[in-house]
Amino acid sequence: MTLQCISGLMRPDAGRIVLKGRVLFDGSTGLHLPPRERKIGFVFQNYALFPHLTVWENVCFGITHLPKPEVGHRVKELLDKMRLTGLEHRYPRQLSGGQQQRVALARALAPEPDVLLLDEPFSALDTPVKHRLEGELLAIHRFFRGNVLFVTHNLAEAYRLSSRLAVIESGRLLQIGEKKAVISCPANRTVARLTGARNLWDGLVLRVDPGEVQVRVPELGQVLTAGVAAPGLQLNQSVVIGIRPECIRINPETGENILEGTVMEAIDGVTGFVYHVRAATASVQQYNLEVHLPKSIAPWIPPGQRCRLQLPAETLFVIPDCTPA
Amino acid sequence: MTNCLPGFDASPVWLSLQTAFTATIITFFWGIAAARWLVGYQGRGKSFIDGIFTLPLVLPPTVIGFGLLLLFGKNGPLGSLLLHLGASVVFSWPATVIAATVVAFPLMYQTARGAFEQIEANIENAARTLGASEWTIFWRVTLPLAWPGIAAGTVLAFSRALGEFGATLMLAGNIPGKTQTIPMAIYFAVDAGKTGQALAWVAVIVSISLGVIVTLNYWKRRQGDGGARLAAEGGIKSVAGRGQKILSRLYVGSQFFRR
Repeated sequence: MTLQCISGLMRPDAGRIVLKGRVLFDGSTGLHLPPRERKIGFVFQNYALFPHLTVWENVCFGITHLPKPEVGHRVKELLDKMRLTGLEHRYPRQLSGGQQQRVALARALAPEPDVLLLDEPFSALDTPVKHRLEGELLAIHRFFRGNVLFVTHNLAEAYRLSSRLAVIESGRLLQIGEKKAVISCPANRTVARLTGARNLWDGLVLRVDPGEVQVRVPELGQVLTAGVAAPGLQLNQSVVIGIRPECIRINPETGENILEGTVMEAIDGVTGFVYHVRAATASVQQYNLEVHLPKSIAPWIPPGQRCRLQLPAETLFVIPDCTPA
Repeated sequence: MTNCLPGFDASPVWLSLQTAFTATIITFFWGIAAARWLVGYQGRGKSFIDGIFTLPLVLPPTVIGFGLLLLFGKNGPLGSLLLHLGASVVFSWPATVIAATVVAFPLMYQTARGAFEQIEANIENAARTLGASEWTIFWRVTLPLAWPGIAAGTVLAFSRALGEFGATLMLAGNIPGKTQTIPMAIYFAVDAGKTGQALAWVAVIVSISLGVIVTLNYWKRRQGDGGARLAAEGGIKSVAGRGQKILSRLYVGSQFFRR
């Protein structure tokens, strides 16, 4: 939907779309540039190649107004960069999924757009193909050097491919920023949930020091120290405190935020173990900690066994509690 | 040809072919234009307009002929206008073309519309983001992708125009050498008890129709294994499939309603 609005295929109800200083849409003045005047490259989910045209003709499509030698030169260069040389005369149905995607990219890049929009280009592919294409996309991005807007439902994919992340839910932008910042300091509970921070607890601020906040977490029956410099936090303010499951350490020597717990469930994943742990001091009967540990460092702990966990202060984040769960 | 068989007038063959070809050419352009227009039409009464366009397919040809007679007759709105200009349509060769065009139009229109609707919206959207105007998109993307369906519609329209009887009889009458097409000649030969002559005409029209269908099948098969430009990938295959489905459905329909 967002991409459709940016590309001009859909008309938003209100707002403004500005690209490199050019106003593409302005709800207040009624300005709505048609897609062909926007200089936007769009790679559709299923690539939407022209099935009746060859690879060469597909890539040419957006630049036929240029002088012939230049078209030839540019298409050749793109096909070369996309490793499609030799396939010029094939039709899309004669290509593999990866080749089709590269044709779609070449076609979108040929008119030298100001921004490249990618609409979940990997969603229909199986894992090995997806991984190879991701690598190719990164290489192509280095060649394109322009901005790429990539829409995906897969957090891991978004994180691997991007430098900046925007979290959108039901058409609302919840947070935008450097990908590290979005992951380590989610702006609210929804972002935390959507970005996979599985451990979220309600808490009350006990102490605020420079660069450190102490939060009482009734559910865990613990006081946690978070190494955050959250501005505007006040004593006795209710907050959400959380930690990503892969940040929790097991069997620590010493340190802050150590708690004892019982493994309620242990899941043997491909790359690591997932433990559902109930803190010994917990006020609830269900598990209240989810821990992801790589197999290389973690032992297999069968359910029922006790364990010691550490929640490193620098990986805990604190969100002022103003958003409902 | 006229003299190959003594006492056998071949003029209905030429009249039929001329009429069918002219009617096919007219429905080709108007059918595509109407289909394209209605596919993009967002306003009210879409299904009503579709109904009007399709009506000649489901109405008995005599009703259509009667309607055309009212329209083009001396006192009809179009007829009086033409009379004013010194032309009369009823019981002339153009009348056979008008009747054939009207009954063949829905077949062209419906098949073309199905073909246009089958084209995946994102293929046209991709062309839009690549800077193409709507006109360019129609000529370079939509029309080539809809081509199998349009071709099927053309063949159907031609067959229907060739076999037209009821509306032609009402509007153009049965004037040998002027408006007497093959179906007309068959009816009046049987009526006059000239069974042999009727059988000869039947043989002619069966071979023309069979020839058209066999050619179409041959073309479809070549398209199937040749893998040439026309039958590329999923999008267009489904267009062809849809075209064939409509073709068979409408063909049954047209057979049923003919006469």
